[in-house]
Amino acid sequence: MKDFLIIGAGITGAFIARELAKYDVDTVVIEKESDVGNHATLANSALVHSGHDPEANTLKAKLCVEGNAMYPDLAETLEFPLLKSGGLLLAGDDERKALMDKYRNALDNNVPSVRWFERAALLEREPGLASRVAAGLDLPTTMVTFPWEVAIAAMENAIDNGVAFHKNTEVTRIDQESEGFAVHTDRGVFRAEYVINAAGAFAERIAAMAEEEPPFRITPRRGEYMVLDRRNEGLIKHALYPVPSEKGKGVLITPQTHGEILLGPTNTAQESLEAVPTTKQGMERIKTGAGSLLEKIPYEETIRTFAGVRASSSHEDFYIQPSKADERFIHVGGIDSPGLTAAPAIAAYVVDTFIRPRRPLDSNPHFNPKRKTKPLYKTLDDVDKNARFKADGRYGRIICKCERITEGDVVDHIGRTLGATSVKGVKKRARAGSGLCQGGYCEGEIIKVLAREHGTSPLDIDYYEQGTPIFLKETKVKP
Amino acid sequence: MKHFDIAVIGGGAGGLAAAEKADRLGMDVVLLEREPFLGGILNQCIHHGFGLHHYKEELTGPEYAMRAIDDIERSGVTIKTDTTALDYKKLGGRFTIRYTNAEEGERTIEANAVILTSGSYERTAGGIRLPGERPKGVHTAGKAQRYLNIEGYMVGRKVFILGSGDIGLIMARRLTLEGAEVKGVAEIKPHPGGLTRNVVQCLHDFDIPLYLSHTVTDVRGDENLEGITIAEVDDAMQVKEATEKHFEVDTLLLSVGLIPDIATLGDVHYAIDPRTNGAIVDQTYQTTQDGLFAAGNALHIHDLVDFVTEESLRAALQAAAYVKGEVPPREKQVDVVTGETISYALPQRLNGDYLDKSVTFSLRSRHAYEKGTFLIKQRGETIERFKRRFINPAEMEHLVVEGGRIARGSGVEIILEGSS
Repeated sequence: MKDFLIIGAGITGAFIARELAKYDVDTVVIEKESDVGNHATLANSALVHSGHDPEANTLKAKLCVEGNAMYPDLAETLEFPLLKSGGLLLAGDDERKALMDKYRNALDNNVPSVRWFERAALLEREPGLASRVAAGLDLPTTMVTFPWEVAIAAMENAIDNGVAFHKNTEVTRIDQESEGFAVHTDRGVFRAEYVINAAGAFAERIAAMAEEEPPFRITPRRGEYMVLDRRNEGLIKHALYPVPSEKGKGVLITPQTHGEILLGPTNTAQESLEAVPTTKQGMERIKTGAGSLLEKIPYEETIRTFAGVRASSSHEDFYIQPSKADERFIHVGGIDSPGLTAAPAIAAYVVDTFIRPRRPLDSNPHFNPKRKTKPLYKTLDDVDKNARFKADGRYGRIICKCERITEGDVVDHIGRTLGATSVKGVKKRARAGSGLCQGGYCEGEIIKVLAREHGTSPLDIDYYEQGTPIFLKETKVKP
Repeated sequence: MKHFDIAVIGGGAGGLAAAEKADRLGMDVVLLEREPFLGGILNQCIHHGFGLHHYKEELTGPEYAMRAIDDIERSGVTIKTDTTALDYKKLGGRFTIRYTNAEEGERTIEANAVILTSGSYERTAGGIRLPGERPKGVHTAGKAQRYLNIEGYMVGRKVFILGSGDIGLIMARRLTLEGAEVKGVAEIKPHPGGLTRNVVQCLHDFDIPLYLSHTVTDVRGDENLEGITIAEVDDAMQVKEATEKHFEVDTLLLSVGLIPDIATLGDVHYAIDPRTNGAIVDQTYQTTQDGLFAAGNALHIHDLVDFVTEESLRAALQAAAYVKGEVPPREKQVDVVTGETISYALPQRLNGDYLDKSVTFSLRSRHAYEKGTFLIKQRGETIERFKRRFINPAEMEHLVVEGGRIARGSGVEIILEGSS
């Protein structure tokens, strides 16, 4: 019998797990995917928003501004990348009224240091802006992070502080019992006093297992993106936002923590909770949108396109409420934008508002907030490099040429708390395969290292999810 | 810091030829190769058809590589395999190159000249903005070729191939021979991207359909690839309605182009030609950075390895001349421009004070012609003409202009007058 069971190890579930790890309780996280942060956390704008956008007096506004303020400390404590880029919300002459509305909204939301800029002041900061841009808002607290690394960091820190984690475990049924809940999965039954539904796009399905009428409906929205390779680092310094319109929040242009430039998203309603195709029309829409912000964009240097599903819900706001059927079942649903920003604040809000008032928690005297990472070899100075190389020659051998990732680095990312078990798991953690050739050179090497480190055959190494091996069959007789 | 006359980056066909040639010319040469073995992509090209021009006999890729490897092992070239060049700096007219390997860790060497023969990488799904889902099962064709021929693993059972580049065509046959079902090859252009002999020997002979003017419009599958859709495109490459065909496949191979792999040069800058994605060079294969030479697929994409070898030999000859101080400084540049019907030509510039030596132009036609004439012009006057038959965008042409024919004073224009 656990005290707390969290369903879903996206950014929200991971931060709730870490929040609970601060207390002397027994927590387990179950995740149906093969890795942390696999859906919305994997495919979004990577932005830590200032909080200018959500309507005033909503949970989104409150938790976004709070979450934003938490990120700088979290980035240091958990050692994840954070780019303090600042943001500019850009408007054409015909959009001045909408820009003014956003300015007032930002002030209502207590977004720090918001300023109104005319074109000249904007051009001083971003010389390449499109000619139609007439005015804008300076949003200096806007930051960019590396979303799935944040989720992995929070989850690793939770695990290091005693939280149990089960991946590849899908919830099939939830029974209410006198002392709590029996959560049935394809890997057995878990019992816990409290259940927290942080299942992202699947939160409605989970809710339906706990109560007759789910209190919210998930209305998935797909956002497509385009990534320009890292040769474009410096193309822009700030995250560039258009003024939101009837049609949605529009296409953003964002500098990424590793030097790439992200363009997107589109915003398409769909039935599927998981389908993430990119489309020709989507790419055209991105170009139209991005072109209204920035004059020259080298689309020919596109390295990757992708799409993600936002777990929007029938409520405009986040739906964070205990179940009407049982207060010990807490829904954290409808976590769409600004979910990444708000996640650490959501975690504190859930625990402080819905758990501690009814179930006092003792603090965990052994809680260590820090996650120690082993920095990539290429980031070390010569002395440290030399020391690490002397201890293990594999740091001298480059596996991913584009991103300069050594065999030693890959081994480290396989061996860490939430180590990589798949090719994409290595890519998510060490960025091997994220460069110009997109794994063309290194994928085979990574499969070999994964097989060796996990003591298995290359035939058993998955691309990502279980049952997705890249090598289907051996063709040569091996000694 | 160890000093060399010439550092050659990449030990495939180009690097092997360049390093051995430079050694024979009395240069002190170092060759850096990323893989544990020399030979580069030739090692995975186990089919035949190599060497007809250079060795005057038909060889497989590994056989071709072995000849070059045998030669280099008898030479005085310092060879470092399993070694990756990290970055380059230029100080006082010399290059310093930082490299790393598991034996030495990070080290720096110095060289008077650098020859880039680092080959190319494959254009990826992201690079062509392939629409649809991103399941497991979409691979570049060369990567799948390596898995099959070197590592010994099949990546799929039911295969479709996008792009009719040579690697895609070769893989269509290779996978068929290994028991896979290759359901077709789609090419967005109205003509095949690879050599005619490969279309015949790899597709026609195996009854594999080639869909010209078709592209992939959808990729389906959640975790594993389940199927793809192709559709016909018009002259403007726009998809025509109601031309979709669906294929159930577990593998989609992409043979959609190669890109010179020269993106990791660090602080050493040089101009790039957007038509080739490689460096702009003069007739010595010198980039706009003095002392930095490029040849083979690192310079522009070749269809025959023989031409890679021969170009690299020419580049090595010039790099050695440069080190010996025999190449005059580039004070007077002559620009080379091409007519409409030529997609690109190398060199893009000529050193005006070095025109007493012959110039080899490498170029590709934009269209296929039964026959045609290439004209080299200066000030509107034709100074040289070359007749060719069966001109094809997939097949590179070479035009050698003897020393003294091109004048120092004005730009050179290359024109192709073709007829079908």
